[in-house]
Amino acid sequence: MADSAAGGEASILITVEFTGGLEMLFSNERKHPIVLPPRLDDGSRPNITYLLQHLVEHVMRDQRKALFIMEDNVRPGILVLINDTDWELEGEEKYELQQGDNIVFVSTLHGG
Amino acid sequence: MPAKELDSPCMDCKDTESVLTVRRRQLCGACFKRFVSYKVFRRMEKYKPPRNPQDPRHQLLLPLSFGVSSSVLLRMLDAELERQRSKNFARNTFDLHVLVIEPSTMAGSSVPYDRNYEAVQKIFPQHTYSQVPFHSIFEYVPDMNEIMREYTGPQFTDDSSRSNAERLAAFRAAISTATSATDVDSVLLTRLVAAFAKQSGCETVLWGDSDSRLAAKALAGVAKGRGASLTWRVSDGVSPWGLQFDFPLRDLYKAELIQYESVCPELAEIIIPDEPPSDNVLTKNLSIDELMMRYVETQGAKYPGVMANVARTVNKLETSNSGNASCGLCGGLVGNVKRNSGVTVSSQAESSGSPFCYGCMRSRPEINC
Amino acid sequence: MAPTACFNCQQARAVIIRPKNRHKLCRACFLAIFETEVHETITGTNLFYPGERVAIGASGGKDSTVLAAVLKTLNERYNYGLDLCLLSIDEGIRGYRDDSLETVKRNAVQYEMPLEIVGYGELYGWTMDQVVEQVGKKGNCTYCGVFRRQALDRGAARLGIKHVVTGHNADDVAETVMMNLLRGDLPRLSRGTKIVTDSDASDIKRSKPLKYAYEKEIVLYAHHRQLDYFSTECIYSPEAFRGSARTLIKDLEKIRPSSILDIVKSGEDMAALVPRNVSQNGKGSQRVAAGEDEATGGCGSQNGRSSGGEMAAMEQQLNENETAESHETEIRLPAGPTSQKLPKGGKVIKKQTMGHCERCGYISSQRICKACTLLDGLNRNRPKTAIEVSVGMEDEESSTTLMRQMERTQLTSAEMLKKNEDEHV
Repeated sequence: MADSAAGGEASILITVEFTGGLEMLFSNERKHPIVLPPRLDDGSRPNITYLLQHLVEHVMRDQRKALFIMEDNVRPGILVLINDTDWELEGEEKYELQQGDNIVFVSTLHGG
Repeated sequence: MPAKELDSPCMDCKDTESVLTVRRRQLCGACFKRFVSYKVFRRMEKYKPPRNPQDPRHQLLLPLSFGVSSSVLLRMLDAELERQRSKNFARNTFDLHVLVIEPSTMAGSSVPYDRNYEAVQKIFPQHTYSQVPFHSIFEYVPDMNEIMREYTGPQFTDDSSRSNAERLAAFRAAISTATSATDVDSVLLTRLVAAFAKQSGCETVLWGDSDSRLAAKALAGVAKGRGASLTWRVSDGVSPWGLQFDFPLRDLYKAELIQYESVCPELAEIIIPDEPPSDNVLTKNLSIDELMMRYVETQGAKYPGVMANVARTVNKLETSNSGNASCGLCGGLVGNVKRNSGVTVSSQAESSGSPFCYGCMRSRPEINC
Repeated sequence: MAPTACFNCQQARAVIIRPKNRHKLCRACFLAIFETEVHETITGTNLFYPGERVAIGASGGKDSTVLAAVLKTLNERYNYGLDLCLLSIDEGIRGYRDDSLETVKRNAVQYEMPLEIVGYGELYGWTMDQVVEQVGKKGNCTYCGVFRRQALDRGAARLGIKHVVTGHNADDVAETVMMNLLRGDLPRLSRGTKIVTDSDASDIKRSKPLKYAYEKEIVLYAHHRQLDYFSTECIYSPEAFRGSARTLIKDLEKIRPSSILDIVKSGEDMAALVPRNVSQNGKGSQRVAAGEDEATGGCGSQNGRSSGGEMAAMEQQLNENETAESHETEIRLPAGPTSQKLPKGGKVIKKQTMGHCERCGYISSQRICKACTLLDGLNRNRPKTAIEVSVGMEDEESSTTLMRQMERTQLTSAEMLKKNEDEHV
């Protein structure tokens, strides 16, 4: 079913960056190329909520999930930039990811 | 008489089985009541008897929400008056006016309370009782329409052909966020109570806030830019309307008031139980008042001393006597407290020249945050 | 979502939404407005005078890096005539500070500013690595905080500079307001929001030009100007922020973004409402060593933000105070009516007199300053006992001094935290 819904659509390739100290939670790597399905099982497009879940399940090896995620969303104090634009201008967690997007997570919680 | 064999004797009277633990002490019901009431009586000692028997007694207004705290306060004050009368030749030092803002006219509560209202008058018959709907604020504060129109700005049109209830509902609906709505509601409620008190010839309002509630109010007030008005919203102090605001329950935790309720069976007919807070509300959808109430509850369970410290600290602040105008909506100070040279206000272009204070400007409808 | 045009220039695409007023701004307008607001803070408070030599307390982190970049920009744009330099503390933490010092060294080149590095090793004879080796990881932040306070002053003195600016932002100030309220510390409530803290003894003033700048905007400023900053947790305080006041501040920001500045505004108002006999007791005597207010959480490198353990320490302290003041006797009631009076306006807060440390000459409210006391302990290999003894002696005459009590809280917070954990388990 997922196949037919996808109907030849290509996977979504995006780049995810962690800075401001967050890279520590992600194997000390700043940039991570991420591949997402074009459509989810329910036919919707993957959004930031889906990306967060994907990152926690497949990319984040550190066990301290709460330092990144709270209440199924980005922990307060972590900024999200979608192609250099504050995610608050893009619909926050409901933003649907586009081919080639650059998503940056910046922690404001680390040392001054 | 030899000492009775008790499993866990009350640590005060040593004579009765203890039934509860208060501040690490096991007490029986009677000694617990005495302990709790004493905290309030000390606060009420400031209302001295009139010098001449002909002089009028203090007229105090108690807003009753049918919640635990205000109901317990009523019970305690009733007992205090009873105690005063029982003394030889003694007279009461104050009269109590109880005001109920009809819960059905307030936000989201549809719980019937008629029986509670009847019960309270029957159980504590010595006092004067009144009830008014929330929208009677238009009657008690005659320029309220004007204030609301100015506050909400052009995007809100007041329809004077509609009933007061509808107009108040429209005004409240214009305020979009949970934080602002809660904030403005409490501002309006305070105004209504103050206006009613003045009209009824009361000199003081006795608010039933527990220590925990005052801590949450203080922290939320600070977070909403209302730090300057804590001197009458949380401290015992003179409100902008010249009335004294007192908080006689300030030395008691919410948990202790609930314990008090449990040893006063007559209160069961009066108190409308709180609805349990729902656990699955996302933090970002809470109002600041709710967030702080939760913060005080969770942290207060672990660190009661720290939370008790908040209201105590605020109560030490001095009242601001700056000549600045007071806010058209909440009565608070417009601009900075005297001697505050901070530039937070001046850098906020939108609040300069406004008849409203910093805190009220933050809750204004067009600021959608 | 369709791109939004910038609120300011109405042309370029908005990339940021400002927490304080929800204005949507493009990159260029955001950078310009951010800088202008810092400029307005500086001019509105007469922070500098032409020709003044100013040391920027630089950690390599986002706040001090942005502060250095903005001050350089403004100094040139508005001809402040400031002589700026970077002043860094080397706590001696391998794998943490040496990396961030590399960042500071690059900043010195990028901003063409001289750099002075003051090391704990040379100042005190102990690096933090050595301190941790001796006292363990718990409680080491206390040492670091106490050492850091003096180190900045000593570094400035070495350079002959009388003004040190630090990167404290609005979030830091808001957190300090909340902490001082929870702690019931009126003297600090009256000082904590001030942009400048003087010090009588060292002649060195401290100020925070970014006190009205949101942490969020500082991070975005650094991002959009692609500033080179270093961000990692100190390896000795890995559990930072959990359950702390910082979390509360960030939750508030999520609910209502303006609330951080709203707290600063409330804090400034309340500071002016602290009774004068508390805030200005015996003019001058209430002044403390510059920077002392900031290090509330102990850890200096975190701009004094709370780490989560402070609530337990505060509770412990309050309980001790309460027992000492026999509040518990209230429970045992007199049978009849009582004549006991309410303490009007709360308890008397004794004033604190500032002198100089007999050992090192640094400003201190005690005979021996905290750094020297800690060093004594380290050198004697019995750090914790040593502190308690010395504080205990001092305390006999002034046990109600709130500030003293809080100093004790800081000094022994690690132990208390531990005790408290034991009690609550």
